[in-house]
Amino acid sequence: MLSLREYARLYLIIEAQYIKARMQYRADFILSSIGMFFSSLATLGIFWVLFDTIPNLAGWTFMEMVFIYAFYMIAISPMQILFDNTWRLRNDTRTGNFLKYYFRPLNMMFYYMSEVFDLKGLTQLLVGIILLIYASIQLGIGWTPLKLILLPVTLFGAALVLISIIVAAGCAAFWITNSFAVINLAWKLREFSPYPMSIFDGFFRFTFSFILPIGFVAFYPSQMFLRPDQIAPWVYFSPLVGIFMFALTYWVWTKGVNAYGGTGS
Amino acid sequence: MRKYLAILRGALMEGMAYRTGFFFIILGNIIYLCVAYFLWHSIYANTTTIHGLTFNETFIYISLGSTVFVLLKTYADWQIAHEIEDGTIAIYLTKPVDYQFYALFISLGSVLTTMAAITVPTLLMLTLVFHVTFSLGPGLLLFPVSLLLAFLISFFFDYVTGLLAFYAESIWGISTTKEILISILAGALVPLQFFPQAIQKVLLVLPFQAIYYTPLMLVTRPNQDGSILLSMLGIQVLWVVILFVLTRLFYNQAIKVLRVAGG
Repeated sequence: MLSLREYARLYLIIEAQYIKARMQYRADFILSSIGMFFSSLATLGIFWVLFDTIPNLAGWTFMEMVFIYAFYMIAISPMQILFDNTWRLRNDTRTGNFLKYYFRPLNMMFYYMSEVFDLKGLTQLLVGIILLIYASIQLGIGWTPLKLILLPVTLFGAALVLISIIVAAGCAAFWITNSFAVINLAWKLREFSPYPMSIFDGFFRFTFSFILPIGFVAFYPSQMFLRPDQIAPWVYFSPLVGIFMFALTYWVWTKGVNAYGGTGS
Repeated sequence: MRKYLAILRGALMEGMAYRTGFFFIILGNIIYLCVAYFLWHSIYANTTTIHGLTFNETFIYISLGSTVFVLLKTYADWQIAHEIEDGTIAIYLTKPVDYQFYALFISLGSVLTTMAAITVPTLLMLTLVFHVTFSLGPGLLLFPVSLLLAFLISFFFDYVTGLLAFYAESIWGISTTKEILISILAGALVPLQFFPQAIQKVLLVLPFQAIYYTPLMLVTRPNQDGSILLSMLGIQVLWVVILFVLTRLFYNQAIKVLRVAGG
């Protein structure tokens, strides 16, 4: 077993090589970044059009929505940048390429996810950070030291929630051959996380809060900064939700790795 | 024509082979419809009509929009790009088939199989769960024709995007940008009526609205004047012709770049 420090060192070495290799395709990086720019701003574009007609959405102003959306963009970036290889899992299990990961003295999830460091995701992260700064200036959010500590902690938890949902959906590839629709569905759900949870009725609010907790990717944690005086106390546990979810997903991954039978040849 | 029908039959059979995928596609669409219902419900919280559209009309428009989006997402651009990247396109060049028509019929097969799977559950959801009431009118009869024309226009964009694989390392960025721009500018996610006036005027002269706005409005407002309905279809036909000519010209240019390794 390697120590955490050795893993960190290994990760840096792997990704440095990966980035060097990717940099051969500079035009592709630029085109992909443009695509990422548009795709990450799509829902915000819809909000912008809607707020031309309505003054607020369930009591939330446009600038508050921009803040929630910026939080969302930052929170989904680790999934995009570090865990993007999840999308290839269904190909690798189908072709049998996944078998090679069993024979390395490394944590399999670590090794598998380290194969891709998605550079275009950096565009999304950058746009998210710029938007978050812009919205918090416009809203006049007072950044106390406590809030400055709370921000990375909540973002970490939020990122883990999304990673857990998508990777767990990707794990379907261990059991069924054509699992694209499963991960695609989870990916679609992701887009609902910046919506104010208060627009939903009881059933959906419960589902999005506790069953498939996409509310914890953006809406709940960003309330701590937007309306700290109005939130339910359990919202402060949102980082723990992320850790709990990831543990659950890791368990699913381990089950999947053990259940996968190769291609049979 | 017979050879293309054979291609279509092959595509239909391939679509049937992946039935499990439909369950998640339908589930995804139903969840989207629910989220859209709540979103638009809260937008219509204090008012009965916005920009002349009632909640019922807007919701028909939005839910149909997401369903048509699912139908038209045939991944034709990805398939074409894939065939260019691994060189299998060369096989079609040696056969007496037109590559564009071949790709068109493969794509049509995907639309038809998805349509067979998604239509009934969506209509049941709309009428039984959301209690949507459809108005009747000649527009409903024109809808299938309009949807077919919309498919053609959408396919032409997919086709060009796929052909860009002749020049680009990967088409991810181009395909994503195309999909986002079309779904917003065509009024797939928000009816064009909600856009600011000046932007609306621009969007109505672009080809994108012919993919979503036109067929969706035929169902949302089926009893408009016959002349208005026909002129909407006329504009779609015009775009089909223009884009068909442009894609032919582009293909003839792009194919010159083709070099397939290995003999």
